Amino acid sequence: MKTRTATLPKKYHDAVIKWRETFIPDFDFLMESWDKHFPKEPRFELCAYREMGMCDQIECGEHTGEPKHTRAASMEPEQAGHLFGAIRAQASTEFGSIQQHRLTLARAQTEEEQVWILRMMAEELRHGYQMLHVLHEDDWSSVSKESTSDLFEDILSMTTGSHILGAFNIDFDSFVDNVVFCALIDRVGKYQLAMQKISAYKPMAESMPQMLREEAFHLAAGVVPMRRWAVQAAKGEVYVTMEMLQKAINKWLPRGLEMFGDERGGGTNVRYGLKPMKNAEAQKQYYEEVEKLVTDVNKRYVRARLPKLSLSEAEGTVQRVLDGETVRGIRPEDLIRTPHQEFFRRRGVPAFRMVADDGSSVSSVDDYLRHLRDHLPESYLAGRDFRDYTETLREVVVDGLEIRDAVRRMPSLRRVAGACPCSKSVRWVAEAPANGEPATADAAAS
Amino acid sequence: MSEDDSEVRIRPLDELDLDDIVAIDERIGGEYRPEVWEARVGYYLRRDPEGPVVAEVDGQVIGFMLGEVRSGEFGLEEPTGWIEVLGVDPDYQSRSAGRMMAEALLDHFREQGVTRVRTLVDEEMEDLSRFFSSLGFEPSSLRSFVRTL
Repeated sequence: MKTRTATLPKKYHDAVIKWRETFIPDFDFLMESWDKHFPKEPRFELCAYREMGMCDQIECGEHTGEPKHTRAASMEPEQAGHLFGAIRAQASTEFGSIQQHRLTLARAQTEEEQVWILRMMAEELRHGYQMLHVLHEDDWSSVSKESTSDLFEDILSMTTGSHILGAFNIDFDSFVDNVVFCALIDRVGKYQLAMQKISAYKPMAESMPQMLREEAFHLAAGVVPMRRWAVQAAKGEVYVTMEMLQKAINKWLPRGLEMFGDERGGGTNVRYGLKPMKNAEAQKQYYEEVEKLVTDVNKRYVRARLPKLSLSEAEGTVQRVLDGETVRGIRPEDLIRTPHQEFFRRRGVPAFRMVADDGSSVSSVDDYLRHLRDHLPESYLAGRDFRDYTETLREVVVDGLEIRDAVRRMPSLRRVAGACPCSKSVRWVAEAPANGEPATADAAAS
Repeated sequence: MSEDDSEVRIRPLDELDLDDIVAIDERIGGEYRPEVWEARVGYYLRRDPEGPVVAEVDGQVIGFMLGEVRSGEFGLEEPTGWIEVLGVDPDYQSRSAGRMMAEALLDHFREQGVTRVRTLVDEEMEDLSRFFSSLGFEPSSLRSFVRTL
């Protein structure tokens, strides 16, 4: 396979650079540290990559075998609308995760962990750039009335609280979130990218392979530190405990499950050849991967606590402890568990059902909120996202608010002030001045 | 279906294979070395996640082969595919998993434009020498030297 590179026109490229300077202020440190942490690895480059030689025919759905679309205009309007929404949402997630990681990046305990996340942030920026490039290359006027400038402005102006998907509207509370987010939420990203690799829209399919290659490391940047923290916890260090890992998993897994969309949906994307799996099928595979991750972290913990155990003895010990036994000092609460698929959900089939982490039902709102209080990170409980959820849950259970109306409230848009594209107060994309001077991306405060 | 009838499937390595690789390495070498593999798997997933492969039987990882393309080492300026580490669960060593993984990795090297693939094998590991010979590898004039400090 061959890859071709491309860049956006200068004014858009500069807009992304400007955005990077704002949201990845440590980018220069990354580049300075590159050879120390990633010797002989190609240096990061902000550009779009297109894989050449991919399948030319639609690979699933009603039009299987027909030529893939190279222009949105050749697609059915509804199909193009779905695709446009997916590209915009993908771009939103890429830029959104950087804004989240930035909050707690400096709290990493080791330079290696920090630089891994920093590299991941730079690559997410490239993924966002890739999606902007896909949008720029085509004419979307049949599904969007926005000009390219306004569309880009809209995407670049989103912040934590105004992104399209719920997982990207939640603040990170500590570096544990940076790591667990990579392990759980980037894992959803891997599924979305892998599914879109067969997209009936060829530019989208061609954009996926390089993004997937980079995503492989993003998952490792979550999984490897989680495993290392489990070892430190087993040795009695108090920096990151298994309880902290558990609470972070409880915080993010429900949002990850919801990123697949409603469990009853996804058929339209399959029918149009945009993805090969319906939502529930992909979500199930994802959940099984998380279960494996959790099991592996537990094994790592047990073998660090009891180094003389063989692998099979360690596996047996993990199972016995998870079943409720205390084995050679390892208590059930020392290990982590995958919360039930219906735990703490606010979208999809189980939205606003009061399901505990172990899958049991809770009948009263107060009992459920106490359960959540005991199973979610303390700093998350104090935030607006959780408050919105609890208030809506009360309205559902006590006041009879319809679930579908409750679902529509999540996530609520909180932070759009000052960045609305129509306000013109701050623009990332600077139009070329009338005198023909090169466009710059300086934010122009009015 | 008996164990022997189950199909061997080759796929790219991913970060959730770590524990299985650690277990295979432990079964072969008798030593539990998770930190070694955490570092190596992290490295390969950064460098070229489509290169290294694992072999699965019924969803269980039974082998792994790690390698990458490098240039400019030991005076070899041409892009060279290096097969660096291979492990197959002793219970599955008659299933051709090693050969299948090697073929997948060689295909990947070919796609990268590589025309030469190299590896280093300890003379005492005759099984491994035979394995690479059966894949068409020949002894090279490039010799390994070592000095203890």
